[in-house]
Amino acid sequence: MTDAMVKAVELVKEYEAGSIKALDGVSLEVPRGAFYCIIGPSGSGKSTLLHMIGALDRPTSGEVFLNGRSLSAEPNLDAVRAKEVGFIFQLHNLLPQLTSVENVEIPMMALGTGRIARRKRAEELLEQVGLSHRKSSIATKLSGGERQRVSIARALANQPALILADEPTGDVDSKTGEEIMKALLAARERNGATLVVVTHNPKIGHGADRVLEMRDGKIGDLGRGTDFRKREPA
Amino acid sequence: MLVLKNLLRRKVRTLLSILGISIGVAAIIAFNAIGQGFKRSLDRYMKDTGAELVVVNRMMQDPAFSRVKKEEQDFVRALPEVEHLSLGTFTFASPRGLKVKSKGAMPALLIFGRTPGDRILDKFKKTVKGRVIEREGEIMVGSIAAENFGIRVDDTLELFDQPFKVVGIHESSVPFEKVGAIVSNSVVQKQVNMGESCAMAWVYVKPGADWSKVKEAVETRFTQLHAMRTEEFTNFYNQLEYIDWFVWVISLVSVAVGALGVLNTMLMSVSERTREIGTLRAVGWRQAMVLHLILSEGVTISVVGGLAGLGAGTAGAEALIRLAPSGFLTTHYTPQLYAIAMLVAVGLGFVGALYPAVRASRLSPIEALKYE
Repeated sequence: MTDAMVKAVELVKEYEAGSIKALDGVSLEVPRGAFYCIIGPSGSGKSTLLHMIGALDRPTSGEVFLNGRSLSAEPNLDAVRAKEVGFIFQLHNLLPQLTSVENVEIPMMALGTGRIARRKRAEELLEQVGLSHRKSSIATKLSGGERQRVSIARALANQPALILADEPTGDVDSKTGEEIMKALLAARERNGATLVVVTHNPKIGHGADRVLEMRDGKIGDLGRGTDFRKREPA
Repeated sequence: MLVLKNLLRRKVRTLLSILGISIGVAAIIAFNAIGQGFKRSLDRYMKDTGAELVVVNRMMQDPAFSRVKKEEQDFVRALPEVEHLSLGTFTFASPRGLKVKSKGAMPALLIFGRTPGDRILDKFKKTVKGRVIEREGEIMVGSIAAENFGIRVDDTLELFDQPFKVVGIHESSVPFEKVGAIVSNSVVQKQVNMGESCAMAWVYVKPGADWSKVKEAVETRFTQLHAMRTEEFTNFYNQLEYIDWFVWVISLVSVAVGALGVLNTMLMSVSERTREIGTLRAVGWRQAMVLHLILSEGVTISVVGGLAGLGAGTAGAEALIRLAPSGFLTTHYTPQLYAIAMLVAVGLGFVGALYPAVRASRLSPIEALKYE
């Protein structure tokens, strides 16, 4: 039996009384500690798949197992997300009125972490992503790259076993995108988490353990990242 | 931290909501303080007489129209437990009838009728400039009325087309006595055509005697009369209760309008922060935590508004009584009034924030994150 961090079995997700099928029988396994990249065009179902495996939503049918537990048996997905999953969004979704360090503290509030411990952990994480000097800056004063790095720090706040990044470099230029991925991969190495990145950008897949492709709600395996790299033009 | 930062994000809007609540609370404090001040003045008025009982005609809704006839007075006076009976009448005189020019804005002069030299006037003896009235044709004027009309001891004052010698300028712990004047009962009786009746009669019971026997005797013999303890006077006249109800209704309407302001503010705030709420849910915040956050913001507005309202209401009441004709209004503040006002503010703020809070907590994280 594989040591799968995430296991999805025949996932189907329908909207508008079945007229839209975002996922059409998707199955996958992501081993613990791996870095998987899911690529595909817009509307292929990538983000929907991420929402299912990240316990943000429930499938119409099929099963998701996260860290060995069936999500359909979980009455409270909020608690699962708080403890097990760290999300990084394309638009970072920082709370604009808070500082960097306060934004990183937000997930820890969900677990009732004390104020002093929260602040200490948040400062450590900002140091890891190279933003100690910006810890007191309001989120609106940060550049796009800085915001995304704060978002990475936030995703790691509760030491999740799984990090899900939905187009983490989608809103920045390529150079900043590279910096973001570097920070993300370094943070993941340090924390030993499993990482799944959804992206339009095939270059991100070059460093992945596995690259999967979503198309019209179905998933295909494009092989290891290194093999994928050879096939993709530079 | 998050509550304060969210509220400070839209400072003007938050301030306006706080203002709405504070105006409502200020109305509660000011109107009730003035209402209670008036009732306390009446209580003190009765207590300062030193009498145990006061007899009035229960058929009349207002003490101004109460009539205790001479035969009724004589019956009470003759009761074995009664040491003394003091008669009281009152009316209002227009300043136009005084043939003096008023310095300030006094709409009327309260005229109290008493028996000259009666023991009920003893309370003025310590502080009166001059003396109390001892015979017909004499008048005592309250200190505020004297100041306003420029009246001094030994002046001659024309009232109801009669000349009166000013024998005293009196002080009182009862504000409306200071804006009034005291003449013989006969003057008022003649002016309002009440014959030898009086409006109320204060009963001084002999030391050690049982006042309840006086009450029973009077009410059995004359069913239209009511003999009550002087401290029951303000409770007996339920138009004062109506004043209380009116004051509370006005005040609560004001606070309710403030609560609508909180509702509107929180609805707008939740709508603007839909994506943020989605983010909170996505990173693991439970529905209850989102509910608590929004409710806390609403309650914070109410608490701040409530506290501001306590101060503004107190200052407003004091300003109102200074603007009103001197001496007619006074204030009385109690810890219970402040506590009730705060409870009402916080309660209505909570209610105002409840719907937006429930709505926010029920947002689907996915839909909220997609919100533009």
